[in-house]
This record gives sequence, structure tokens and C-alpha cells, in this order.
Amino acid sequence: MIRRNISKIILPMLLAIGFAACDIEEIEDPNNPSVGAITQNASLSEIQNLVTGIEGGMRLNLSNYYDGVGAIGREIYRFSTSDPRFTSDLLGKGGAILDNNTFYTTNPYIGRYRTVKNANILIEAVEKSTSISSDALRNATKGYANTIKAYQLLLVWVQQYDNGIRIDVANPDNLGPFVGEGDHKAALRAIALLLDEGLTQLNAGGSAFPFRLGSGFTGFDTPDNFAKVNRAIAARVNLYNENWDAALTALSNSFFDLNGDLNTGVFHTYSTAGGDALNPQWYPAGAKGESRVVQPSFVSDAEAGDNRLSKAALRNEVEFQDGLSSNYDLAVYATNASPIPIIRNEELILIYAEANIRLNKPAEAIIALNRIRNAANLPDYTGSNSSGDLIDEMLRQRRYSLFGEGHRWVDMRRYDRLGTLPIDRAGDDVWLKFPRPANED
Amino acid sequence: MKYKILARQLGLTLLLLGSAQFLLAQFMVSGRVTDTNGEGLPGATIVVVGTQMGTTSDNNGDYKIQVPGTQARLSIFYTGYKTMTVEAVNSSPRVDVVLDDDFAGLNEVVISGLATNVKRANLANAVSSITSSELVGTTVQSSMDGALYGKLTGVNIISNSGAPGGGTTVKLRGITTLNGNSQPLYIVDGVYYDNSSFAANVNFISQAAGQGSNSNQDNPSNRVADLDPEDIDRIEVLKGASAAAIYGSRAAAGVVIVTTKRGSRNGNVGVNFSQSIGFQQQLRKLGVRQWDEAKVEASFGAAQVPNYQQAVQSGKIYNYEDELYGEKGLLSTTRLALNGGSEKFGYFAGITRKSEDGIVKNTGYDKTSVRLNLDSKVFSWADLQMSMNYVTSTADRGFFNNDNTSTTLGVSYVSTPSWANLFPDEKGNYPNNGFAPSNFLQTRDLVTNNEKVNRILGGGIGTFRLWNNERNGLNLIVRGGVDQYTLETRSIFPRELQFQKDGNGTNGASIRSVAVSQGSNIAAFLVHTYTLENNLSFRTQAGITQENLNQDYTNAIATQLIGAQTNLNQAGSIQVNQNRLKQVDKGFFAQEEANFKDIVIATVGIRGDKSSRNGDPNKLYYYPKASVAFNVHEITSLGKSVNQLKFRAAFGQSGNFGPFGATYTPLTPIIIDGGTGSLIGSTLGNTTIGPERQTEIETGLDIGLFDSKVNVEFTYYTKNIKDLILLVNTPNATGFSNAWQNAADLENKGFEIAVDATPVREKHLTWNTRLSFWRNTALISRLDVPAFNLGAFGASLGTYRIEQGQSPTQLVGIDPSPGENGLRVFGNAEPDFQMSFNNAIRYKHVQLNFLFHWKKGGENVNLSTLLSDIFGTSADYDNKGIDPTNTLANGPYRLSQLGVSAQSWVEDAGYLRLRELGLSYDLPSSWFKDKAMFRAGISARNLLNFFKYSSYDPEVSNFGTSAISSNVEVTPFPSAKSFFFTIGASF
Repeated sequence: MIRRNISKIILPMLLAIGFAACDIEEIEDPNNPSVGAITQNASLSEIQNLVTGIEGGMRLNLSNYYDGVGAIGREIYRFSTSDPRFTSDLLGKGGAILDNNTFYTTNPYIGRYRTVKNANILIEAVEKSTSISSDALRNATKGYANTIKAYQLLLVWVQQYDNGIRIDVANPDNLGPFVGEGDHKAALRAIALLLDEGLTQLNAGGSAFPFRLGSGFTGFDTPDNFAKVNRAIAARVNLYNENWDAALTALSNSFFDLNGDLNTGVFHTYSTAGGDALNPQWYPAGAKGESRVVQPSFVSDAEAGDNRLSKAALRNEVEFQDGLSSNYDLAVYATNASPIPIIRNEELILIYAEANIRLNKPAEAIIALNRIRNAANLPDYTGSNSSGDLIDEMLRQRRYSLFGEGHRWVDMRRYDRLGTLPIDRAGDDVWLKFPRPANED
Repeated sequence: MKYKILARQLGLTLLLLGSAQFLLAQFMVSGRVTDTNGEGLPGATIVVVGTQMGTTSDNNGDYKIQVPGTQARLSIFYTGYKTMTVEAVNSSPRVDVVLDDDFAGLNEVVISGLATNVKRANLANAVSSITSSELVGTTVQSSMDGALYGKLTGVNIISNSGAPGGGTTVKLRGITTLNGNSQPLYIVDGVYYDNSSFAANVNFISQAAGQGSNSNQDNPSNRVADLDPEDIDRIEVLKGASAAAIYGSRAAAGVVIVTTKRGSRNGNVGVNFSQSIGFQQQLRKLGVRQWDEAKVEASFGAAQVPNYQQAVQSGKIYNYEDELYGEKGLLSTTRLALNGGSEKFGYFAGITRKSEDGIVKNTGYDKTSVRLNLDSKVFSWADLQMSMNYVTSTADRGFFNNDNTSTTLGVSYVSTPSWANLFPDEKGNYPNNGFAPSNFLQTRDLVTNNEKVNRILGGGIGTFRLWNNERNGLNLIVRGGVDQYTLETRSIFPRELQFQKDGNGTNGASIRSVAVSQGSNIAAFLVHTYTLENNLSFRTQAGITQENLNQDYTNAIATQLIGAQTNLNQAGSIQVNQNRLKQVDKGFFAQEEANFKDIVIATVGIRGDKSSRNGDPNKLYYYPKASVAFNVHEITSLGKSVNQLKFRAAFGQSGNFGPFGATYTPLTPIIIDGGTGSLIGSTLGNTTIGPERQTEIETGLDIGLFDSKVNVEFTYYTKNIKDLILLVNTPNATGFSNAWQNAADLENKGFEIAVDATPVREKHLTWNTRLSFWRNTALISRLDVPAFNLGAFGASLGTYRIEQGQSPTQLVGIDPSPGENGLRVFGNAEPDFQMSFNNAIRYKHVQLNFLFHWKKGGENVNLSTLLSDIFGTSADYDNKGIDPTNTLANGPYRLSQLGVSAQSWVEDAGYLRLRELGLSYDLPSSWFKDKAMFRAGISARNLLNFFKYSSYDPEVSNFGTSAISSNVEVTPFPSAKSFFFTIGASF
């Protein structure tokens, strides 16, 4: 009897329970927050984490970026006993060329697109998050994200130039096309559009972000103020794209201030706190073996009394490697916790000067140039008002004012003057652009 | 009235008579079960044919059983012996039984389903099995996996190093994955037995993975080391999907089914006691370089010459190989086991205490294992079985393997010439080693690198006979178990170490890991047997299964230690890392077996599995199987000499999960400006990733000759694995560097031959021998991504390369005359073939066992030689013979090849070993009135070793149990050979 009962009742029950309980609940990643979860319904603190992640991501591999553009632009030499490619490939020593699968090409590229990805995740997250209580907050966040994306893409463009860059990268399985392949201005136009979209969103973004920005954005941490950063970057993009009027318009809506502090702007911050990063462009004075030294013409070409020469600090011993030598350390950053600028007023003043030169308004341009010269302890400009002379003067001021900040190479390329950069060893080359990373094809 | 009463009485009497007749018509059969030498066989099973009645023999082989009727047929089973059926009649109730050895194992019962067994003679797969006597009968074994060496065809076992406490790579029929789990699934008494490795993270000191390797090279042990080989009754090894398909998505690397010993239910108590004592010593000494002034100057510069001369004058030239590896480690194993029970209840209790000292001072392994197995027949229709095991072990594993800081014992040893003085002064202060960042004697004496495990395993099986009649039998089997352990590692690098003090390190480091692993599994099966009149029988089984695994690993590194404190908080800086794993698998399976008179046995089955490890956790993946065995000898006579001829064929599929986390796209922590942010990780998870799928087809032929005195087993298999999971590069514009994908296929092919023979079987002399041969070859048959190098240390030193059309274990490297891909193939980690020769010879009371194992070919990447060359300390540095032009000595020649060709570091790792040798003597049982048995013996493991390989042992793996990149050596803990004296007694 008992056995009958078991076979007739208990068994089917047992099997039924077994199959009913058969669904497996999806297990969230127990070790990390997952993209899937955060884009479904992010909390405010998760949105804050994404924003902080973007700020951290923007710093990734910047060292390789600045070393690459700085060395090719003949501002610095990056010496390294452990890696000869800084002085061979980057400077085109002998037959050496830039490789499409080596760290100096791929690392900065990955770092920028990783940050773009984080910004895209942020956009996706705020769209679905029920913690975001208003459209204004949603717009503010998207405006922030699009501005950062545009800046990251601009850095990619600097190295990739007319290889084209991918603008639409939201879907990893279906990446958008390379924009501006063979026409570097097309990519800049796309970046400008992205900035404009960001501006519209920031303008509709109310009075506050639903998150806190880091100290690198002090003074620019509301949608209104952050829109000024957006416009500052737009001014640079329009300048590069030779849209002089648009550059001036953007400047007027940015934090451009002809008489303001040259160092007003936004920055990547660094600190010695645990887990934080140190300024990767800083080396102790007199570092040997692993060092950044100044290409000697920076000092020899300078006007007497230019206080911007403090960016090249005299060494006790000459540093030499691979047939190159210099007596000056790169000293743009005072300490290993000094911030690295994203964009600052000094550049905006120089953009103002350049746009005016190109619009044939030399008087306006000279006011701006003199502002820069005087700040550098130099007397007023005494050259002619011809646009050729003014361009030379403007490029010289850009060279000294923005030294070590990744501009020299781009400027020489914009004015087709790469051929005028100093060649230190016979057979060295000055590259026009980096190759497209191997994994992109 | 009287008649009436009489009639009633008569009726009652008749009735009584009738029932009494039934009651009375039974008798007691008794006798003794012995082997052909007259030795009693304890624990033999005696079953009355056609009934459920049975008993087991006691310690002396005696048995007693009540049987119904006046005559009965008894079947007597004993593992390793041929089953015998005898007649017993009440007129002569004493039946002694002599069982013949069943060296071919035709009658042994082999686990074939999740819940069922099959007689080996009817098996359609070449399932290797091994019994207790083969496992531990010859010599003392340190671990279960180590004890399998050379005893099974198709099995490739590599001891990762000589470090005490285990660390073994087991590969069944070739490699089956590139990134997934490469180790077989272990199941102990129905409980899934976790075999993970957890790192101590001494990599923090060694920085072995500092240059981008994703393996920390910590030489961790893997947790199957916790099994006590003494507890094991038998092991079955399902080598591929054709046999293991019913284990579904965890079975791609094969399944090892372990069954532990159980109590005999014969009313007697059996006690077994044994004590082994022995020692181990370095398996092979390499020697040290002999110096003179010229060599010192050439290798270390002129400045060292005076130091050398001074050391020679004062007699302070040291042989550091002897100093470091010269210990004779004491080995002791104590075993006490108790078993017994009554008809309704059986118990087995065993305790083993093992203590092993390593060949390096301050290394060793201690393990205590306690087991309690209970069997109970609760009702006539229900059996319950319970198994409990508690293990506690502690291993001091030394500090070895690759490093990038020259601090491990191995690397600093090869950096140091013989005139360095590393010995402490009279106050116990160690001098700094001027030749390396580490004084390895100081490191050896002061560093702790300990691993402690506490593990509890509990399992239960309930068998319920729901329905039984003439034709039908229906059983419900419910099985479950838990496997839980805590592993703690403690690595302490005191601040007075040369590489910790004076700004050379972090002023001491205390590294602690805690891993908690909790596994559980439960399954229920229905088994229905149905016998038709024409002897066609069917067995149907269906069931559901669930397995859970939770693992939580925390590693903390404390540096800037305060004084001699080792608490994590007594430190200036602490880093913590936590990693968790969660997994739930559910599945069902169904299997149908048909047996026609033992002539044709056919099986079809299917398993459906889903798992949280797959992209879609609720997608069912199906793993079918089918097999057929055809016993030709059952239907036709094959002549006098051939008594068995079986053809068999089997097909099956199984799966393998990708690495844990492959389905996730994680956000990683990043700190800026005092805030913690989430930044997208560099690996794109794949939410559509599926398991790797293996299809194995196995065909074979079994022949029994001369009344099964000679048995030949031949098996050929192909094993194709589809959808191997790779980490492939992605366009960087995605924001990711790489992504998980099912992107390659792999093919294994191989054959296995085993010949068992009993050439001599006399009253006083028997000789059983087994000769096995196996070979496997593999190639990558599909690769969706460009060929890539994998594992080891790059092409200049020899590396693996995954390349379509080539073996996944090929070893390639740079060379002046490369192939089309710019690299040259120097070898293959896979052996050409392996052979083993296992013998058991008994003459009267003397038993001699020996096992030879020959691995032919198969190359290693040996970087120990490279490192000792770089530091000029190789023993053969000044010999000649390697340079083809015979101009350079070996050391300079090999160094001249650095950056030119990797050939010098890819070496033949073949060997011939006398794996096991045992000689024992059984004291005649008559001395103890047949009440007890005493045995004394001597034995050795790895006594003789023949190999060309230039380092300590060709069996080595710097990268632990990873699928690819075993067979790489970087100054490992050297292997040992061991010797034992054992006495044993049973009552």
C-alpha cells in the first residue's frame, strides 16, 4: 500500500516540483557592476559612478598620447631604456615607421573609445533610470556626455587625421563607418555637430546636474557653465576646421576672457591619494633612463626673457639616448599631482587671435597676441600686420604658451609646416598621422 | 463433534504443515570464499540466485547464509575475481568457493549511467577502471590523481612540480579546451567534488605575471588532492563524451567517478591497520658548475676573481644544490580502518594520517582524513547510504617557479655561484647575496608559504524499490551531497629579508587568502527494468539533476609590516581583492538500454542541461549518446582459444562552459579626485555565448583468449570539439580590447591498446601482467581569428601557437629559417605515445608488483636551463656537444641562440620510469589461527628514471592546470623519488 502510494502520488509530485523549479534565475556578475544592470535602471549613485568613471577614463593612456604627439611635433624626446621605440618609431629613425599594433598607436585610441563607451552607457542609463526625476536632468546629463564624447573623438582625430574616425560606436556589434576617410574636415564637422547637440541638451538642462563633477571642473559644474566648456572645445574644432566665424561665435559663448586668468579652464586632476593616478607626464628633475627631455630648439628659438622657458628646466647632466641629447627636462608640471589641462583660457585667447588674423582683423589679433606676450614677460608685438607675419607670430606664441600640451604637431600640420620641424638625426621622419589600429580593419 | 474438532485440527495442522513446510524448508549454507592460493577473501558478496537474499564473507572469507527450500544456487561476487555460481543442497550445506582472478575484469560491474551499472562484458565503451589494490596496493600514494599515473590508457598526467601538497594536471584523451575547464569532473560517491585551484598570490612578491601573463604562476595545488587514496574502493574514468554524455555540460574533459569503501554486512567486525614510514629525496641532481679563475672572470668579471680565490683558500666553496634540495624528507602514513555491520546495517570508518617532509627545508604536507560510510536497509524496499568525509591538511609549499624579481628560491639559486657565502653568522644574521636580490637560504628559512584546507564532504543515496514483479522492476534513486571547504593561504615575507629591507621591497609582506567553496548537487532518477520472455530486457532511466557552486575568494596583501607582526592590520598598507563565483546548473536525462541475451546491448540516451554560465541561462543544450556492444562469442563458437569477442561502438556529446564571467561586461572601479567611479572593462562579455561542444565516437574490439588468460582491448576514437571559446580582439572603437566568442574547433584522434594476461597461474605462483599503449593527436580544424601565440613566454623562448590545421599543443619559436608564419615548429607538448607495463607476481607469501611507464616524445619549454645559463651556473655550461659546429661550449652556445632561435629551450620531455615497485610478504595466516593477517613490505615510487631532459624532471608545469601551457618549466620545486617500509595488519 505504502509503495503504491509512493509510486502514484509522491513520484509525480517530485517530478513536477523538479520541473517547475527548473528555471534558472540569471545570476548578476558577483564581482563587478554590470552594464546590463546599470543601463536598466541606474540609481543616482550609479550615475555618479559612471560620471566619475568618465573623468577617470579620460586620463587613461594620456601619457602615451602626449609622448606620441609631443615627440612627433619635436617638442620633447621620450627616452626609455626599456623601450627603444619611443626614439626609433616615433621619430622615424632609419627605416622605422609607426606600427599599427604597438602601444603608442593602440593605447591612446583604446583609452579614448573606452571613455566614449562609458559616456554612451551614461546616456543609455539616464534614459531609463527612474531616479532621474525630470527631462532637464536627463538633458543635462546627455549634454555632459556628448561634450565629453566629442572631446575624446577630437583627440582620436588628432592622431588618426584623414584615416577617418568612427563617430557612431554605440553598438559594438555594428560599429558606424569611418567618417572623414581621406577628408579630415568631415570628421571635424561630425565632432562639431556632436558638440552642438550637447550644447542644445545643456541649454535645456536646467540649473544643476544630477551628479557632482570632480575638482578639475570647478566653476564649470552646472549645465550653464559646462556649456561654456562645450563652446571652448567647439571653438578649437571650428578653428581646426577653418570656420573662423564659427570659432569666434563659439568663443563668445565660452569662458574666453581676453583679460582673464590664462589658466582658467578644465583639467584632468591627479593626486597621491591611494588608488588615484599620478600626473603621467611628470618625471623628477634629472631623471635618467626613463625621462622626458625638451627638444633643444625650444630653448634656442626662444625670445630673450620669455618666462615660458620655465617649462624647460636645465639639467645637471645632459641626458642622451639613441643619438639624441638634451640638457633640459620637460617641466610643464611642477609636481606629480599637477593637473593636465583639457582646455584653458590661454588657448582660447590664441584661438581668438588666429581667427581674427584669418578674418583679416589684425588689430584684434594683435591685442590678443600682446596679451599673451605680456603675460610671458615679453614686450608688445612689433612685426608687420601682414597675415603671413601674424600667422608666424601666432604659431610661435602657441608653441610657447601651449608647450607640452599636445598642440605643436597639430598646428604645424594645419599650416602644412611639418617639413619645418627640426630633424635631429639624418633619415628621421616627421609623421603626418598615426596608422589606423590593426584591429579596426 | 469429535470429528469436527478432529477435522478442524487436521485442517489447522495441514495449514500449519503447509506453512511450516515453507518455514521449515530452509537451511543454513556456510563455507569459505578463497582465492586460488587459499587465502580467504573478506567482503565477497554471496547472493541467492532469484531472491533478494545475500550476505558477505567475513575477514577470513567465511560466510553463512540462510536459504529457502532444500537446494539453492548461490552467486559469489568479488571485485577483481570472476563471479561464480554454485549449487547448495541441504544435505551438504558446506560450500567452499575458490574464485579465479578476473584479471580482465569481465565480470566487474562498471558504472555506466547516472544511476546504473553494467557488467564490463556488456559495456560499449572503453571505461578504464582501477581498484583499491591497483591504486594503493603497491606503494604509498600521496594523492589520488598521482596514484593513477601510468595505470590507465588514454590518460596523461603531469605533476606540476615536486612541491608537497599536490598540484597535478590530468588530461583524458588530449586537450579539450583552450580557455575553459581543462580538468575532468570528479564525482565521489555521487557528490560533485570541486577541483579548483586558489592562488596564494605570492605573485605579489615574485611579479611572475608582471609582464602581462594572465596566469599568476603561483604553483597552487588543485583540490582533488584532498581525497584520501586509502578510502577509495574503485575509480572509473570516462575519458570522453561517448561515455560521459550523461554528465552533460561539465563532462567535456572527462569524468572520474570515485567510489569509496563500504562496510560489509556480515555480522563481523574487520579492522585494518597499516603504518608506512619512508623518505623522499631529489629525483635527479643536476650538479653544479665547476669553477676556475678564468671561468669566474668570464661569467662574473675580474672583480669576482679575488672573492673566488679567497673562498677556495678558506674552503668555502659550497654545493648549494645539496644545501637547498638535499633534504631527505621523512614520510609517514598511518591508516586505521574499521568495517562491519549486520544484515540491515553496514559501516565503514577510516582514518588516515599522513605526514610528508619535502626535499627543501621548511616544506612539507600533513593531512588527516576521516571517513564514515553508513549503509542501512531501512525497509525491505528502501536502502539508504550515507558517506561523510572530513579532511584537514596543511602544506608548506616553498617559494618557487617563475618570477620577475629574482626572489624565488629557484631563480635566486640559479643566479648564485658556489663561492657566494649565504650562511648566517653566529648571531643568526644572514648576509646579503651579492649575486641576486635574494639570499635563498634566508628566504627558505624565514619565508612561510602555507596552504591549509578544511573540507567536509557529505553525501547520501536512497534507493527505493517501488514496484517489483516477475517482469518489472521500478526503482527510485535519490542522491544528493554537499562539498564544502575553506582554503586559507598564509604567505609571510618578513621585513629582514634581503629583498624586503633597505628599500628593496615593501619592508615585509603578509599575504593571506581565504577561499570558501560550497558545492551541492541533488538528483532523482527512476529506473525501470522490464524483461520479456524471450530474454530481451529493457532498462529505462530518467531523472533530473541540479548542481550549485558558490565560491568566494578574498586575498589581502599587507605591506610595510610593523616589526615581526604578521596580522594584516599591523601594516602600513593593505590591498584587498575579492572574487566570487556563482553557478547553478539544472538538467534532466533519459536513457534506454536494451539487452538481448547479453548478445547485443544497445543504449540511447540524452541529457538536457542549462546553466547560469551560458549566455542564456534557461536555454537547454542537449547532449545525446548512443552505443552498441555485440558479443559475438555468445552466438557462435570462435574456436577453443577465443572465448570472448566483442565489437563495440559508442557516440556521445558533452559540453564545457567558458570561463566564469565570460557572459558579463563588467564595469571596473577607478579612483579619481577622491571619488570612486565605474569605467567599462576592457573585455566585452558575450550574452550569446554557448558551451563548447564535444562529439566523441569510439569504436573498439575486445578479445578474450585461452579462457580469458589473455585479453586484448583495442579502442579507436575521434573527439571533435566545436565552438571553443576564445578571447578575440575586437575593434578598439567599441571601447573594448577583446571579447569572448565561440570561435574555433579542435579534433582529437587516438587509439588505445591494452593487453592483460595471466601467463602463470600455479598453486604457488601467479603472474598477472598488463601492457598498455595509447596515443592521441590533435589539430585545430577551425579558427575564426588569425593564428595567435598562447602561453609560455613568447616566441623567442618557445611558445604555444593556435593555428588552423596545426596541433594546439605545437611549440613554436623564432628561428633563422622560419616557416611562412615567421616561426618554426620545434616540438609538441603532446607525447608521441605512452606505454605502461604493470605486473603483479605472487610466489607463496611473497608479492612483487612493479609498474613501468614510458612516455615517448612530447616536448617541454625548459627555461630553468636558460636562467642558469644567463647566470653562468649551469652544470653543463663548459661541456661541449650542443653546438652543431662544436665550437662553443653548451652554455655560451645556448646563450648565443637567445634572440636567434628558440630551439635551445624546447626539449624532448620523454621518459621511462619505474613508477612503482613493491615487495611484500604475508605472514602465513595459520600463524594467527586464521584470525588475523600481517603483511610487511618495502616499496618505492619513481625509483628509476631515464630521460634526456636537461632539468630536474620532464613532468612539470609552471602554469598549473591550465589547458594550454603546461609543459613549461621555470625553476620549479624539484621532483622527488620516495621509499617506504610498510607493515599492515587486519583482524
